[in-house]
Amino acid sequence: LVKIACYVESYNFSDPREMQALLKFKKTAEKMNHEFDFLWKQNLGDIPHYNSLFIRATTDPLYTAYIVSKIGWENGLKVLDTPHSIKVCSNKIHMYRLLERNNIPLIPTMILTKEQLHHRFIEEAFKKLGCPLVVKAPYTSFSKYVEKVRCETSFRNVCKRFFRKSDIVVLQKFVPTLFDWRVGVLNEEILYVCRYVMPKGKWKHGMKLRGKSKFIWGRTTSISRYAAPEKLKEVALKACKAIGNNDLFGVDIKEVDGHYYVVEVNDNPSIYSGYEDAKDKDIYQKIIEALTD
Amino acid sequence: VLVVSDLISKSAVPTVKPQQFLESPARDFILNLECDYRYMKIGYYVSLYAETLQDPVIPTCNNILDAYRTPVLLLRAKKKGIPTPPFVLTNSTKEIIYELGFPLVVFPSNPFSSDGYRIVYSQGGLYKALKSFGINYNYPVCAEALLGEVRSVKCIFGEVNHPDAADIGLKFYEEFGIPICKLYIQTMGKECFLCSVSPLKTVEIHRKDIQRIKEKLKELAQTIG
Repeated sequence: LVKIACYVESYNFSDPREMQALLKFKKTAEKMNHEFDFLWKQNLGDIPHYNSLFIRATTDPLYTAYIVSKIGWENGLKVLDTPHSIKVCSNKIHMYRLLERNNIPLIPTMILTKEQLHHRFIEEAFKKLGCPLVVKAPYTSFSKYVEKVRCETSFRNVCKRFFRKSDIVVLQKFVPTLFDWRVGVLNEEILYVCRYVMPKGKWKHGMKLRGKSKFIWGRTTSISRYAAPEKLKEVALKACKAIGNNDLFGVDIKEVDGHYYVVEVNDNPSIYSGYEDAKDKDIYQKIIEALTD
Repeated sequence: VLVVSDLISKSAVPTVKPQQFLESPARDFILNLECDYRYMKIGYYVSLYAETLQDPVIPTCNNILDAYRTPVLLLRAKKKGIPTPPFVLTNSTKEIIYELGFPLVVFPSNPFSSDGYRIVYSQGGLYKALKSFGINYNYPVCAEALLGEVRSVKCIFGEVNHPDAADIGLKFYEEFGIPICKLYIQTMGKECFLCSVSPLKTVEIHRKDIQRIKEKLKELAQTIG
């Protein structure tokens, strides 16, 4: 019997598909004769009483999830996501530098510091990456803090906004595609493969409608991991290896003319019932096995 | 050794500004000397850049992240043998009162309050501390038992400006390698406990501190030489 703690926050239960997925994790673990408890902010002192820790709340070194992961790690628990993965994947600067160093095919990317925000650099960025280009805050998640800019004025405005939290931002070539591949990887093995389709007329999977506060999301279609293109799976596995250790990752990949380019590697990938698990039903079992191994 | 710093421009060791370093393909042992190493600030990115080049660097990103998150700092400090007060990480007043009672000293664990603490003597005070440091109870706080007087001391290369905290300063530097920071400690007679760490503001660095840093670098240059 392994005692698993699953760190969650209330928003993890606001979407019924995510809630269902969390309940499936619990049911699967209990079927495998393990104990599975949801861990909340109120009872973080209980972490040392468990054998494994599974983090489902949004991760970032600034959030409580990082502290939870670190406390689990320091107490010798088996942890998904590890503090290392959170540190690297939550900061796109860190992630891109590692991917670049390991020769992973990437969308052309540049890094901009606060001091470089001047006319000459902006001109050079547009020359190198084309127009429009994409400005990303290092802490982007769920398609937020990623914006397309067409001129120097909007470039400056977006960068200034992102510079409030981070002294460096990422610039990327704008590569429009109908969908992004999402490849789920667990301990160097492909777990699931999905297509995150862009909403009609949009360029990101999740976007706000003009003048409205509500986010709209594109469809998610799943294909069996065995049916996914070999080259796609190979690129995803290489990208995860570059991040550095065994963990649960979701790799976003763009396909352009038969070539695959990594957009980003996410720790703590979203798992929604009926989406990521639509074809590969065993993902819950595999994750519980990884936590209890 | 290459020193990367905005604080000093010349020293006994080759020194460059952070921007210059980020644009260079430097391959060296990097000593990152900044006041503020907080996550996503330039001090953090200097260490990150060095690490991704596989250059040895002081301080490492891991140590930066851990030192500035009070519960993680206390956990690692305790393992290292640094005296720390009993603490609880939670957003529940009930649990804090059950585990520690009063009086308490409360430190934030949210990313937006990087400096400060609150001493709490009653349940009402604890609610207020949780509401403000927990940003309306959204973040847990790190509540510590109040054992003595809480004070902050400058820590430069492990040397602190308080005689009773000398050992804590040295051990903290050995464990976390943060060259410049502010330590929050509790003193009870000759006993001292580490409570929290925060960045040193530029205005808190005086000329004599810069002199101390330069002397340390001179010693380092002689050791290498």
